Amino acid sequence: MATLDRANEAATTTVQSRPPRIPSGDNSVWADVSPLLHAACQDLHEGDLIHGDNFNLFAAMSALEIMDPKMDSGMASTYYSLDEAIENGAAPVPVSDDKTTDVRCIIDIFDHILACEATWHKGHSLAQTVYSCLYLLRPERTSSHALLHSFCQIIRATCKAVLSVVSDSRTHEEEDLFIMAYGLPLNEDGNERCLALLNAVEETICRQLRACKTTSSKRRVSEDIEPLQNNPDLEEGYCRALLCRLRFRKHFYHILMSMKRPHGGGLELAREHIASCISEIGHIRKSSDFLRASAPEMSEQNIENTTASGCKPIGFDASLNCRLSAPTPPRAIKIFCLEKALEYFVKLLHDLDIICSCSLNPSLEAALLFVVKFQKSQPDLVSRAHLQLLLVQNGKLFGRYPMFSMITRAAGLPEVVENHDIQKNEFMVQLQQMVMNLLKIICTNAAWQRRKLGKMLQDWRVTYVQLELDFKKEFGNTSNNETLGFKIFQHILVWVEEQTYWIAFRFLTVGFELELYADHDYCMVYWYIYIVLINLAEKKHLRMAMSSGTGKKKTKKKRDSLKDAGTNLQISPAVRFLQSQIYLAEGLGMMLAALRNEHRIVPPQSPFSTEHEVRFSGFPLTVFKCITNFIKALQRVFGKFYSALDF
Amino acid sequence: METPNKDETEISKVEFNDSEIEYISYGGEHHLPLIMNLVDEELSEPYSIFTYRYFVYLWPHLSFLAFHKGKCVGTVVCKMGEHRSTFRGYIAMLVVIKPYRGRGIATELVTRSIKVMMESGCDEVTLEAEVTNKGALALYGRLGFIRAKRLFHYYLNGVDAFRLKLLFPRPDLHAPLDSPDKYGSHMHSDHGDSLIEQ
Repeated sequence: MATLDRANEAATTTVQSRPPRIPSGDNSVWADVSPLLHAACQDLHEGDLIHGDNFNLFAAMSALEIMDPKMDSGMASTYYSLDEAIENGAAPVPVSDDKTTDVRCIIDIFDHILACEATWHKGHSLAQTVYSCLYLLRPERTSSHALLHSFCQIIRATCKAVLSVVSDSRTHEEEDLFIMAYGLPLNEDGNERCLALLNAVEETICRQLRACKTTSSKRRVSEDIEPLQNNPDLEEGYCRALLCRLRFRKHFYHILMSMKRPHGGGLELAREHIASCISEIGHIRKSSDFLRASAPEMSEQNIENTTASGCKPIGFDASLNCRLSAPTPPRAIKIFCLEKALEYFVKLLHDLDIICSCSLNPSLEAALLFVVKFQKSQPDLVSRAHLQLLLVQNGKLFGRYPMFSMITRAAGLPEVVENHDIQKNEFMVQLQQMVMNLLKIICTNAAWQRRKLGKMLQDWRVTYVQLELDFKKEFGNTSNNETLGFKIFQHILVWVEEQTYWIAFRFLTVGFELELYADHDYCMVYWYIYIVLINLAEKKHLRMAMSSGTGKKKTKKKRDSLKDAGTNLQISPAVRFLQSQIYLAEGLGMMLAALRNEHRIVPPQSPFSTEHEVRFSGFPLTVFKCITNFIKALQRVFGKFYSALDF
Repeated sequence: METPNKDETEISKVEFNDSEIEYISYGGEHHLPLIMNLVDEELSEPYSIFTYRYFVYLWPHLSFLAFHKGKCVGTVVCKMGEHRSTFRGYIAMLVVIKPYRGRGIATELVTRSIKVMMESGCDEVTLEAEVTNKGALALYGRLGFIRAKRLFHYYLNGVDAFRLKLLFPRPDLHAPLDSPDKYGSHMHSDHGDSLIEQ
């Protein structure tokens, strides 16, 4: 490998004897390196590689073998360039000179784009899905064709809107392919213009539909209306098939725009458009019988079809711009079939509807529970991105409520403290940031979320310790426990602990969803959950008791204070719910321990590690801490259970 | 990084004695085409020759090949190095051709590599496997690997991966209840989520 020096010598002499072919610039000299390479090659044996010190696995894996279809995304398959494809008639405008054929082909294009769009949302590159449509790549080419042009415009605008929501929310994390859009025309059309054109086209087709439905005696009113296409028998069917597709696009775009409005101000309007969108999907489904029947070749109802007619769409080539998709080898992309795409959009719309139904109450706890519940239906990236943008805007909950006031409320403090100067305390500022991060992270996909929650546990623990130190520094030597500052610290400290256990609980439960636990792990996992829940319930109860204590003091003068004191001692429904979960986790843990004792569940006998390593790998330190804190207490209570677990 | 293909139902198994399988440590450039052919055919991810050489040139003692009557039927390719605060082994590729599966050849190959890693002072061994690859998951499960995390859409084919992890016993740290801090110091150092561990 150390052949460079000698080669260099040889090369310099040769280079001088040849005039450089490219004239040198101010700061550059062009030289022919062929002799240098030639000389170097002679010293290289098979397997040798000249490389710098920083040659690592990343560099090795980034190397591509030219003309290997698995790696070389620049390999031309059909056409070398978009221009060549267009010259060869791959995307004619109009698609056909026969108007009936043109309409039929355009509906196929619409359907295939929808299938591509769903595939993109599911995590493939925009360039190889939606933008495999050659008509989208050259916006100016379609301008003479109002129907096709309006559709292409709204598609570009929609892609841009979805892209900006996902990149703003940064929920994409590992789904980074989603937002790669360089080299693609997304910004060509103004938003208003694209809707205006779409509305105009929709209006024309509405008239054409009305015209074809009126009997010949009444025809004189609509005589000046040119039909959509040539075959009167197909006029109504094609008009309807187009209308539902155009209206779907229009409402979908309106949903995106309404949901973007600040402070959740457009959610009601968005729900109306969501309902319309879902009903248009119904119409699209209904139109498929007609479209299949009108296709030139009667096709079987094939579940693989990306178009309702069953015909292959004109004007698509995924290989042309796959080199734009990402700096990785080309991915094999299977475009969704139309039915699967429609199913995806129905789910997306339902998920967006749930988001729009979110009550924008100033409650952190309610917001967290809302997200956890929302995540149960395993929503996809686009809806999760919308939820995250709704939750956190300008550093405020729903863009309305400052984080500090949300924290003080969650901690059960009276409203007067919301503007207290204590929020400027370094660690209180940190805490506000952590709450914001928590809200964002629980909106991400489960795999990413769990890893982030694991890391986050440490941050919460550290901030707790720092807050506690500040608390002691400020109030440790005074007997003045009645000041507002004291109370704020006291309450928030308990709340931070409670929240830390909540995160640990979430961390453990998301592991089930991700299938991270093996059969023999369950016993340990339920045991961990049991301990985390006991802590969580205890802190929650303490925090509630504290705030009802402050409530009591405030209402002391009222006549019914005694009655209040009576109810305050009761256990709240939230804590009762946790208690039931504790019993469940305990029961399951016991059962699994018994199964192990009976050898019904047999952990693997690894030649390399003991069960000890198996048990403690994969869990963050904070989870252990709360376990070790309580393990001895539990040992006293459940001696047998404990020994069965062999901790 | 490793993704043995499925569809084993139709494959006719080869009759052989376990003793007929010969295991050989990577011995030089003549072994490279054998490894590349096996991996190219059986795994979903495309690797350039640079990737293969990166592994076998730097860690030849961690790569093994299995032969039956002169025919290469399986291979394992690995690396090891510092990863944050730990010294970590990494199993990059493991392949056994279909007619020879189910006879413990993969287990033997990977066990040999792990032994060398353990003797070389590794604290842990990691790898990624497709979540759908039940065979590989079971194999590593038997060896004591746990599923440390799930990696969303990790492979080029869009499938998720599990990051599997095997932790070697460390006698000096064998008392977590008394000193969780000490024990935890190498627990939480695992953030290599990119395709390539740098």
